[in-house]
Amino acid sequence: MYEFLQYQVCDAMTADPIAISPASKLREVEELFENHDFNGVPVVDAQRRLLGVVTKFDLLKAFSFDAHALVPHYDEIMEQPAEAVMSRDPVSVAPQLPLSRLLQKMVEMRVKSLPVVENGRLVGIVAREDLLKALRRATIRHELPVHEEP
Amino acid sequence: MTTLLYTHPACLDHDTGFGHPECSARLTAILNMLRTSPFAALEWRDAPKAEIAQLTRIHPLAHVEQLLARIPRHGHYAIDGDTILSPQSGEAALRAAGAVCAAVDAVLKGEANNAFCAIRPPGHHAEPRQAMGFCLFGNVAIGAAHARAAHGLERVAIIDFDVHHGNGTQAAFEQDAGYLYISTHQAYIYPGTGRRDERGVGNIVNLPLLANSGSADLRHVWQQDIEPALREFQPQLILISAGFDAHYLDPLAELNFNEDDYRWLTEQILAVAADECEGRVVSLLEGGYNLPALAASVAAHVKALMEAPRIVQRSLVKRILERQKAKRNAASS
Ligand SMILES: [Zn+2]
Repeated sequence: MYEFLQYQVCDAMTADPIAISPASKLREVEELFENHDFNGVPVVDAQRRLLGVVTKFDLLKAFSFDAHALVPHYDEIMEQPAEAVMSRDPVSVAPQLPLSRLLQKMVEMRVKSLPVVENGRLVGIVAREDLLKALRRATIRHELPVHEEP
Repeated sequence: MTTLLYTHPACLDHDTGFGHPECSARLTAILNMLRTSPFAALEWRDAPKAEIAQLTRIHPLAHVEQLLARIPRHGHYAIDGDTILSPQSGEAALRAAGAVCAAVDAVLKGEANNAFCAIRPPGHHAEPRQAMGFCLFGNVAIGAAHARAAHGLERVAIIDFDVHHGNGTQAAFEQDAGYLYISTHQAYIYPGTGRRDERGVGNIVNLPLLANSGSADLRHVWQQDIEPALREFQPQLILISAGFDAHYLDPLAELNFNEDDYRWLTEQILAVAADECEGRVVSLLEGGYNLPALAASVAAHVKALMEAPRIVQRSLVKRILERQKAKRNAASS
């Protein structure tokens, strides 16, 4: 477990992740969710500055009851741009953040993934699965015998 | 004395298209339930078509003509994403509004204690100049206006317990103190109207409830708001916009009423009607989209209407006992 304390976000994250533009339609977002096991997808401008995140919950929220219609209409809603439903000013983390602190943050916030930002640009995304993998990797050596028999 | 049931086969022929929640199976489920033996005492009557002059008390003639002109010969015509016309929609809409007027006539003539109109399309979202939200004509507003115009009533109350706010009914009456409109509905959902501060000329009582409100919240608003407003108004007739989509199994909203809440609420309304207007109540179907829940809720509502004489009696006994108690207290002090 000591080794885990040495890890940083950049050791576990997915670098250069797929991101979408604010004008991307919810239909495209849905396709991304369908084809990858993303929890959420970052929204960036042309300079890859992070503007927001669209999660599966945000997508579901677009279908919740509101004042506009008695019944939500699938095709109409799927034509909406990502910026209509994205969470703005999302929490992000730096690549140098220790994984132990990322773990605390994700548990407290109950989020499934977080974007990684360096110098204002999106450089990665880190998810619960990445943390679990890092925990496994950091502790696997302890299963080996410490003192080899001669 | 009895409970009347107004309906018409034409109401089954209003076709909203494949998979639409406001479908004729709703009415079929209700009518099948009302044909079972516990409802044998209901007196079934065919709903007549409303006269154009009855509609134009609420809707401008040009709007009525335009709506009827849009009815397609084949297929469907969409007024908006949810509000659909089919070839038989015109007759269904006229029978729905006509049912309420006929029920008002019968109850005011003393032919029955009360009546239930098993009709579709529903009506409470239909504004004077705009059909919307599954609704073509404002059935309850047309019935209330008929009671005043044809029978000379001065005060007609409408209680709307559909989960959605009756924007159409409110729009029709918000300037006329001869009508009292009371609505319970889920806040922040369709159609977006129905805030507490929308009070008309003091004759609109909006009681928005937060998602997941249930039996206890219904009893609370009844005691705090509905009953006091209703008694103060001293209605000569009570109409009920009876939508059952506040049921906990309904797919279109998130309130948690159950069948027994509908029985309870109906009995409360009947008790006030017994005191204020000789029990005269006309109820009509609005929403409700889970078929078994809808049929069971209508059953509880109509059963209570049929048992009105017992409720009237109970209310009378209660008043006599209260009077005796008051006399005893006066004598002993
Ligand atoms: Zn409704």
